[in-house]
Amino acid sequence: MNTQANTNPLSPFFEFLVDHPRKVVAVSLLLMALTLSYLPQLVKDTRADAFLAPDNPALIYRDKVKEQFGLSDPLVIAVINEDKEGIFNPVTLSLVDWLSTEVSRLSNIDSDRVTSLATEKNIVGTEYGMDVSDFFDPVPATQIEANLLRQAISDFPLYQGSIVSKDGKATLIVAEMRDELLAEDTYAEILAIVDRAPVSENEQIHVAGEGAIAGYLGSYIDNDAQRLNPLAGLIITLIIIFAFRRFSPALTGNIIIAASVLMTLSVMAASNVAFFVITNALPVILIGISVADAIHIYSHYYDLQATRPNEDRRQLVVETMLKMWRPVTLTTLTTMAGFLGLYFAAYMPPFKYFGLFTAFGVLVAGVYSLVFLPAAMMLTKAQVSRHFIERHQAGREEFFARIMSGLGRLTRNYPRAIISIFGILAVSGLFSSSYLVVDEDRIDTFHPSEDIYLANEAINSHMDGTNTLDIVIETGQIEGLFIPENLRKMEALQVYAESLPHVQGSTSIVDYLKQMNRSINGGDSSEYKLPVSSDSVAQYFLLYSATSDPTDFEEEVDYDYKLANIRINMNAGSYQDTRGAVLSLERYIAEEFNSDEIHATLSGRVNVSYHWIKGLGQSHFVGVVIALFLVWAVAALLFQSITAGIYTLIPVVGSILLVYSAMVFLGIRLGIGTSMFASVAIGLGVDFAIHTLDRLRDLNREFAGDSDRVLSEFYPSTGRALLFNFLAISCGFGVLITSQVVPLANFGVIVALSVATSFLASMTLLPALVTVFQPSFMKAPEPGVAANNGGLIRATVAVLMIGLGGFFALPSVVDAAESLTADEIVQRINDVDDGEYVSRKLVMHLTDRRGRERVRETFGYRKYFGEEKQSILFYESPSNVKDTAFLTWDYPDPEIDDDQWLYLPAVRKTRRISSSDRGDYFLGTDFTYEDIKLEGRLEPADFDFSLVGEENLDGISTLKLQSTPRNEEIAKELGYGRTEFWVDVSNWMVIKADYWDPKNEPLKSLKISDVRQVNGIWTRHRLEIQNHKTGHHTAFIFSEVDYDSVIDDRVFTQRALARGR
Amino acid sequence: MSLLQIARVTLVATAANLLCSQTIVAQIRWDTIDQVDFSITIDQQFSMNSSEGGAQKNQTTILPRIDLDLSDSTSLTVIARARFDAELALGFDGGSSHSDFELREFYLDAEWAGAYWRLGKQQIVWGQADGLRVLDVINPLDLREFILPDFEDYRIPLWIINAEIPLDKNWTAQFLLIPDQSYDEFANPNTSFQIRSPQFVPELQLGVPVTVEKTNKPGRTFMDADAGVRLSAFVGSWDLSLNYLYHYQDQPVLYQARDDSGISIAPLYERTHLLGGSFSNVFGNTTVRGELGYSSDRFFLTNDPSSSDGIMQSAEFSYVFGLDYQGWRDWFVSAQVFQSIVSNDSAGLVREKISTTGTFLVRRNFMNDSILAEILLIQSMSQDDGLLQLSLEYDWSTNFRFTVGSDIFFGSSKGIFGQFKENDRVSVGIEFGY
Repeated sequence: MNTQANTNPLSPFFEFLVDHPRKVVAVSLLLMALTLSYLPQLVKDTRADAFLAPDNPALIYRDKVKEQFGLSDPLVIAVINEDKEGIFNPVTLSLVDWLSTEVSRLSNIDSDRVTSLATEKNIVGTEYGMDVSDFFDPVPATQIEANLLRQAISDFPLYQGSIVSKDGKATLIVAEMRDELLAEDTYAEILAIVDRAPVSENEQIHVAGEGAIAGYLGSYIDNDAQRLNPLAGLIITLIIIFAFRRFSPALTGNIIIAASVLMTLSVMAASNVAFFVITNALPVILIGISVADAIHIYSHYYDLQATRPNEDRRQLVVETMLKMWRPVTLTTLTTMAGFLGLYFAAYMPPFKYFGLFTAFGVLVAGVYSLVFLPAAMMLTKAQVSRHFIERHQAGREEFFARIMSGLGRLTRNYPRAIISIFGILAVSGLFSSSYLVVDEDRIDTFHPSEDIYLANEAINSHMDGTNTLDIVIETGQIEGLFIPENLRKMEALQVYAESLPHVQGSTSIVDYLKQMNRSINGGDSSEYKLPVSSDSVAQYFLLYSATSDPTDFEEEVDYDYKLANIRINMNAGSYQDTRGAVLSLERYIAEEFNSDEIHATLSGRVNVSYHWIKGLGQSHFVGVVIALFLVWAVAALLFQSITAGIYTLIPVVGSILLVYSAMVFLGIRLGIGTSMFASVAIGLGVDFAIHTLDRLRDLNREFAGDSDRVLSEFYPSTGRALLFNFLAISCGFGVLITSQVVPLANFGVIVALSVATSFLASMTLLPALVTVFQPSFMKAPEPGVAANNGGLIRATVAVLMIGLGGFFALPSVVDAAESLTADEIVQRINDVDDGEYVSRKLVMHLTDRRGRERVRETFGYRKYFGEEKQSILFYESPSNVKDTAFLTWDYPDPEIDDDQWLYLPAVRKTRRISSSDRGDYFLGTDFTYEDIKLEGRLEPADFDFSLVGEENLDGISTLKLQSTPRNEEIAKELGYGRTEFWVDVSNWMVIKADYWDPKNEPLKSLKISDVRQVNGIWTRHRLEIQNHKTGHHTAFIFSEVDYDSVIDDRVFTQRALARGR
Repeated sequence: MSLLQIARVTLVATAANLLCSQTIVAQIRWDTIDQVDFSITIDQQFSMNSSEGGAQKNQTTILPRIDLDLSDSTSLTVIARARFDAELALGFDGGSSHSDFELREFYLDAEWAGAYWRLGKQQIVWGQADGLRVLDVINPLDLREFILPDFEDYRIPLWIINAEIPLDKNWTAQFLLIPDQSYDEFANPNTSFQIRSPQFVPELQLGVPVTVEKTNKPGRTFMDADAGVRLSAFVGSWDLSLNYLYHYQDQPVLYQARDDSGISIAPLYERTHLLGGSFSNVFGNTTVRGELGYSSDRFFLTNDPSSSDGIMQSAEFSYVFGLDYQGWRDWFVSAQVFQSIVSNDSAGLVREKISTTGTFLVRRNFMNDSILAEILLIQSMSQDDGLLQLSLEYDWSTNFRFTVGSDIFFGSSKGIFGQFKENDRVSVGIEFGY
């Protein structure tokens, strides 16, 4: 050994560490402290949406629908009364009224979007047409009135199942949140309301819904993690103390744990990666892994000390490190390889980050074990327990060593039996894996005893269900929904949807029209059908709006009656339960619904979840294959043998297959939480195989292939250390089994199971295989130190390269979440709210190259009608242009030209004008029509954008973008060959721009100043543009900007144009 | 013209010119008056007859305007006009007068009972044609300068009850009641633009005495009022209108009676129904527009010896079809064809049965729309005469505009345009607007 120490090139390194223990420990702790400064920046993101990349089409479409119809994931309060009268009694109804009022008062609840018996309206026919009035007008005070209400609801099929259960025993209050990020607080506020609600006997109140799940999930998982992490740390500390009967290994082990966990989280924070729901598993996993190296090192050191109690401690520590650095590095590298497999295979950002950052944590633990630990051992004067020395001197084997020796004898005597047993297990695992079911349901995250779980059950059993699937209907034209043919198609689609499994009901404008038709035709239930002509449809809406609030339908139909939403309620939310309906609807829509006139698209939570889970199974198996390949490649490099690489994989492959069988047997489904297990199992399980093979090969050389001696030496030493390693890890994961978060508990079970299998396979199967097959890599003569280390160095370089590759590939992933690509910046700019309507004064200063100025005072209005934008500009002064006015109707479809009219006072006539070429200058200014129309936005259809960099403009930090037209035609049409924009990152407003013409000569420079909020909306008040070619200059100065005062639709008409408003 | 008159006119013109200077106007702090918007345009025009030489007009026009907001939806507009012409070649009402004062427009805008009301003296233009009148017959014309001034300046505003009722966002109905019996005003006899064309004035034979009787004007405020309805719509990107007007034609019918003592002419205003419509739409860079009208009772001069009064009554069908092209940056090109068809066949009809006129306009903006150059050709196909107008406008600053222009008549002197071919003119002007 001494010889080795003297010739090993690493000796000076470890000697340095043990000679300067204080410095090394201080530097290690300092490094940790420095990284920790990033930790407070760590942000939590427990949204379900976080699992999908922000550019996932299903998510983007869902958000578009949310914006169009204002739909969000609701919080649902159920009031249940199992009495004879059900909820139709004055007491329960007044409770519903009370709850609706209280919930509406919450600041994050959109009071217009609270739906309950207390807010909804009845539609009844009258002799004049129809009457729309509140169901609770007034709140029924007697049983007779309550019975009348029951009758009214039974005459209104739409509300049966959606608001009141068909048996009349339950009713819902559905509340939508303004900001879903505040779901957690809002859920708590609603629970507080429920707590003080005047509940009488027989009444129960439940709170559920996707909004509640999102609201509760965050705190639920947090609470769980706060309980689990200390528990895991405590258990591992106890195991170490128990193993070595010393306190100092527990202390240093905990420091390594802290370094690994905290530094990893800090690096996540510094990389702008959020703490997702599944990140809760990361500390527990790192606790188990990072302490393993310390156990092996202490174990070897104490063995040496027990053998040579009088030897200098410094000498022993260096000797231990020279022996152990290799297996520690090996296991660190293979574990990292396993987690990097997850990074490369996963398609959901949280999983990618999980793989990458766990690999980083493993690296930290490995480095601290090799650098900090020897120094700490010197500083803490690590001293083996006297008990160990005595036993060694007496030649007795300690309890755990005896267990392992027993295992050794079993292996030695029955190698073929062991191989056969594992063979059978592997085949059955392979077979079962085909029965593995991919499934996920967010409600199953909660323990079945949780209130929210019970509430969900209760509501789904009484009502149409808390899970929503939306179908967005797009007709090609304004008022396309007045066309009876389109409505009938929607009706048929709803009928089809309601025939699908787990679909309990659906709501759309069709239902309201049927109800109106029925009311108008005397209330006869045979008249519950669609009106026959588009005129009737239009009339019904007119009649409705005449007697009630026309915005009542904004959840079902857009302003122009061009788009509609069908909301489908399902009483199950899991992937397996909803998949059938989603696939059937997709088929029906493609084959029987879509045409040139009408088009449907699925959206909503159920659809997003479907797309979320759809790829999970495939991603899981790809992850397994990638992780296995990486581990194999690293092991093959380390042992410099392809066969050795395969041997290394055998225990982990066996353990994964066994876990598949166990999952099928226990009915655990492959979901978000459980799908991660394989990478974890590979990363952890491979350690046992590597330690085993490495040590067996050493001993094989030492004892010249005498397998009996090899094995009898192997089990009490390395075998015992591996046992503690296994205990530490399995106890760490065992803690997860006690988790209240169901997927996490399942995850704990299967990881513990797979680690146990890997351990057992490494302890029995591997030695048996080596004994039986005598592979050549076991017999290879000991290579020179340098050559031997060559494999290790190559493997280290390979893993670090892979890891670094992953980290540097990270920006593209991180971009998706935090730092942005050019296109995302453009999206941010285009997403800046500019108000539904605005009125403002605009003074134009037009100055020619000689400084002669013309001033035009105007007043303008702009309003969005859905996506259509209408604007009108009236000239007020000077008198020779007074009364000139310009009206534009700007359609969202780029194929449809804008309609424009100009009123010329000199001829007293409105002239229809062709929508000017987009590059023409607007009414003598230096802005083009396109510039005016975009109002500061950017058009991705015309330009490719690239991010040039960051710049500080007069104290404003900006991102600089460059845009180039997508083709020459666009460049010519718009007059721009290239543009550079400076974007204020604080409000995503462009504050400066330079334009070049298609010949790449400087054309114009735009400067925007006086940007400030008006009615909460960022507003540009001063725009100055200098034309470099003509020397002409235009300044637009906006004032009297008002986004609050509602603008009459009739302002945007030719009549208003001619009359001057 | 006496020396005194010249001195007076010059004094007024100078005073008006002085008003143009910003210093004086700036002292009037009208904008401090709440909800009252005062504006004024002062225009100084000088025109020279380029055919015969000599000044045609040296005119100052002052147009003060007050807009008074009475409430959010109610406002009052008053526009007055004072004109002072140092020359007498054109003349004003009342013979050889140098000045003219007029209340141009005076109307109340209000929203009431779901309708938009404009009550008072106003101008209303129907139709899609520029300068050619098929539906644009509500306001009569002041032909003192023929059709050379801006449209709004030679139209005579009328007292009208005007209600526009929005039916929905794209449909509007307009109802008009016009109890104002004002009709076209022709240029004074012996002034530059006196109408002499035989199409409008009966040709007189030498030696036959002519007596012109007093024009018989309708006088009953309501019984003789004009009334009209317009339904306009925006449908599938078409701007459409359907128009109906029951009105007195603005030119008197010159009924002739012959006896031994000569010819006596009895001018009489006649009524007609006008039914028509208009359309416009845009196709790419081209605007297509047009209007058509059917008048039930029109009266034309005839030489038919069998006609007892020299007048033939007939229905008339007329239309305009126009194309505007805006495909080149800063350019505007427009062409229109107008046809009027007299339905009755008559051998003696003085005008053609089918009369055709075309217009062609080219306009170009320069220097960020501060300069506007325009060529307008109006060609009568039937009479082979026409008018060519060239103009240049320069918006020199916010308040000042310079204009230069030329009006050239050509063709047969019997034609509507050719009759003025001795009156070609060149004009320069300065306009101040505040």
